Amino acid sequence: MKLCQKHGLPIVPRGSGTNLAAGTTPSQGGVVLIFRNMNDIVELDEENLALTVQPGVLTEEIHQYVEEQGLFYPPDPSSGKISTIGGNISENSGGLRGLKYGVTKDYILALEVVLPNGDIVRTGGKLAKDVAGYDLKSLLVGSEGTLGIVTEATLKLIPKPFYKETMLAVYESLEDAAETVSAILANRIIPATLEFMDQGTIQVVEGYKQIGLPTDCEAILLIEQDGPKEIVEQDIEKMYSICKEYGALSLSKAVTEQEAEELTRARKDALSCLAYLSPTTILEDATVPRSKIAPMVREIKKVADKYDVRIHTFGHAGDGNLHPTCATDARDKEEMARVEEAFAEIFQIAVDMGGTITGEHGVGEMKAPYLEWKVGELGIEIMKAIKQAIDPNNIMNPGKVFAKSTKKRVVVSNV
Amino acid sequence: MISDSFLNRLKDILGPSHVDHSEAGLLTYAYDATPNFQSKPDVVVMPGNTEEVSKIVKLCLEHEVPIVPRGSGTNLAAGTAPTQGGLVLLFNRMDQILEIDKENLTATVQPGVITQTICETVESQGLFYPPDPSSMKISTIGGNINENSGGLRGLKYGVTKDYILGLEVVLPNGDIIQTGGKLAKDVAGYDITKLLVGSEGTLGIVTEAILKLIPKPEHKQTLLAVYQSMDQAAETVSSIIAQKITPATLEFMDQPTIGAVEEYAHIGLPTEAEAVLLIEQDGPQAIVENDIEQIADICEKHGALEVTIAETEQEANQLREGRRAALSAIARLSPTTILEDATVPRSEIARMVQAINQIAEKYNVGIATFGHAGDGNLHPTCMTDARDEDEMERVEKAFEEIFAHAIECGGTITGEHGVGEMKSPYLAWKVGERGLEAMKNIKTAFDPHNIMNPGKMFAKDTKKRITI
Repeated sequence: MKLCQKHGLPIVPRGSGTNLAAGTTPSQGGVVLIFRNMNDIVELDEENLALTVQPGVLTEEIHQYVEEQGLFYPPDPSSGKISTIGGNISENSGGLRGLKYGVTKDYILALEVVLPNGDIVRTGGKLAKDVAGYDLKSLLVGSEGTLGIVTEATLKLIPKPFYKETMLAVYESLEDAAETVSAILANRIIPATLEFMDQGTIQVVEGYKQIGLPTDCEAILLIEQDGPKEIVEQDIEKMYSICKEYGALSLSKAVTEQEAEELTRARKDALSCLAYLSPTTILEDATVPRSKIAPMVREIKKVADKYDVRIHTFGHAGDGNLHPTCATDARDKEEMARVEEAFAEIFQIAVDMGGTITGEHGVGEMKAPYLEWKVGELGIEIMKAIKQAIDPNNIMNPGKVFAKSTKKRVVVSNV
Repeated sequence: MISDSFLNRLKDILGPSHVDHSEAGLLTYAYDATPNFQSKPDVVVMPGNTEEVSKIVKLCLEHEVPIVPRGSGTNLAAGTAPTQGGLVLLFNRMDQILEIDKENLTATVQPGVITQTICETVESQGLFYPPDPSSMKISTIGGNINENSGGLRGLKYGVTKDYILGLEVVLPNGDIIQTGGKLAKDVAGYDITKLLVGSEGTLGIVTEAILKLIPKPEHKQTLLAVYQSMDQAAETVSSIIAQKITPATLEFMDQPTIGAVEEYAHIGLPTEAEAVLLIEQDGPQAIVENDIEQIADICEKHGALEVTIAETEQEANQLREGRRAALSAIARLSPTTILEDATVPRSEIARMVQAINQIAEKYNVGIATFGHAGDGNLHPTCMTDARDEDEMERVEKAFEEIFAHAIECGGTITGEHGVGEMKSPYLAWKVGERGLEAMKNIKTAFDPHNIMNPGKMFAKDTKKRITI
């Protein structure tokens, strides 16, 4: 860091490069910093339920390691098999368990960070409560490598849930599925997973995998609950009747682990199936308050029609985090222009509904021109002031989060 | 001192009845719950909305008048004492619960709402706002947000920061910004929400907040266990966690606290016991019953002299009464009570309590310790007399040594009370010179003229670190 500072060279810290917002692309050249040689699990502290790791450890390796000890690290980004914990921390990654268990930020107890001036600071500790000074830790988690380099992290673990059950519900209408989601939560059940796929996604998945999904239905919900056995059984039973009450056409409950695996496969395969459709796949993560999911999915469909682009939507219904995914071709400039316009409109609609331009992928360089739509001009100003305070020479991942200029706002009607 | 023209402009903004510069008014807000930090402000104002707050901030910036936002003044680290004079900003006219959104499980509130009012209101609708600082009967949510307050349910449910989804904030330049939203996931830019929570009024003024709610647990049970030795109590705590049980409450009192409580409340605590644990579990009935049974077994296995499980809500209340009365019971014993909140990793609790006792003896001061055993957040409480200068000096030295010891155990100088002015000389001990520098840079980025609660968090000088 000190050397780069002296030479004014940009630094781009990079985990496995699974970023979907050009957050780890060295678009201004410079030094790419990889953590292949810093990939040790440093310590498991069972008494304080804390795991200390280096940034290069794979997320899945952490899951396996702690689960063998009967412990649990909940954040499970879909890229967990190849993503690193350092990348997860810099992006504040989410995942399928976000609704019940929260995101990466909720499980970071302490960080060792190299600041842009080369200073090494330690924030937090194995502490459930610590209010000594500003929360640098929370500021650094999700700062996308623009404020410093994470060189060690202490993660919070929880006891591993004893038991898990899985079910799948098929709906004729999107509204029925959305109402089911609201009703489940209104009945004071917080499922571990509450995932959703729209018709387009279902058709594509069924087309490739032939697993018997009804392609004429508008929505599918994949629901999982974990915890003590009796509670899980009770919750699943309640959710089963709620799904029925709100018009589910068909319901399947997994009896064996293998059946559960089959039910979840459809959702897990969604992105790879959609990726077969076309040379280029653009996966976004506009996020809205949970109550706005049905209208948001409808709006996305309208936008896709308007710009004549193929967008299918799946995502985390429980936490409002949607993944409108566009099947396109980067070589077709005319279509790409329409895709960009479509996504701009989707971001605008999400923000108008009280949502955000990105729920878990980060701003990166790709969404930087839209950040102001969410946080406002004054919000950007204060974020830039923080950036300037920590990295006055702008050597940490320059060009990310903050754009040279903001996109002109799209005016959207009927929202 | 403030000028007449400043006062007149304040009155123009707020109306004369919401600007108080009477001697009585100034005296009322000259202190918070911290001993020895009394200092009169120049004026006290009661804005009614965010725009007024913004105008006040711009006016104060123009005149370089310090602003001290204040909830109910229960702060224990002199965080709300106007030690550099200036303007005290009250929120008693911004005290509304604006919305409870049952679909998204959120509550939108103004900063002046009393914490307990929020808890009661949402619980009457089957929902739950978990953070429960001991001061919740009088503290405001705005104060809780600025201090990132903890409470008894911290181990299982987390602290205030974990339940703040979005904020409306007036920045030190008068700008009004909105952060976050009714969103479970949002990574659009830097996390200003979490930076502001716990910033002790030094970075901006919270004028509205969106709180995250969860479904109210269906059932709750309470248990009290009495121990002959502190180590046995600590082993019980570790063993409960090792059994993968996370209780809703796991509180602890040491012998001096038990003695004080018994003398005050006469609830039949054995005063010869070295430690008492108060344990609660909440959730679905079957799980709660199962957990409490297991916990009772663990307590007995680790040598509890006595384990009482409350059969009724009334009995539960009696068991809780002891822990709840701890501070008031101790406060009766001397003219001045200093309550600290050194916090250590859970595994270090027994060692820390032992160290506190040794330090109290070394400096010949009376310290009783109680606190949140489950999350390592201890409250060593000193019974002293602020008029006795010699003793106060020894008290300060004792607390210094306690802070140093907590840090050596991997802990912190403050778990939930905040740094304020009182602990600012010790902040570098925890965060290091470099950490402090980064924090000061952030402060300057937000508040270049240092008008927001000046003198808090950052001290002129760091105390020389003591070696143990």
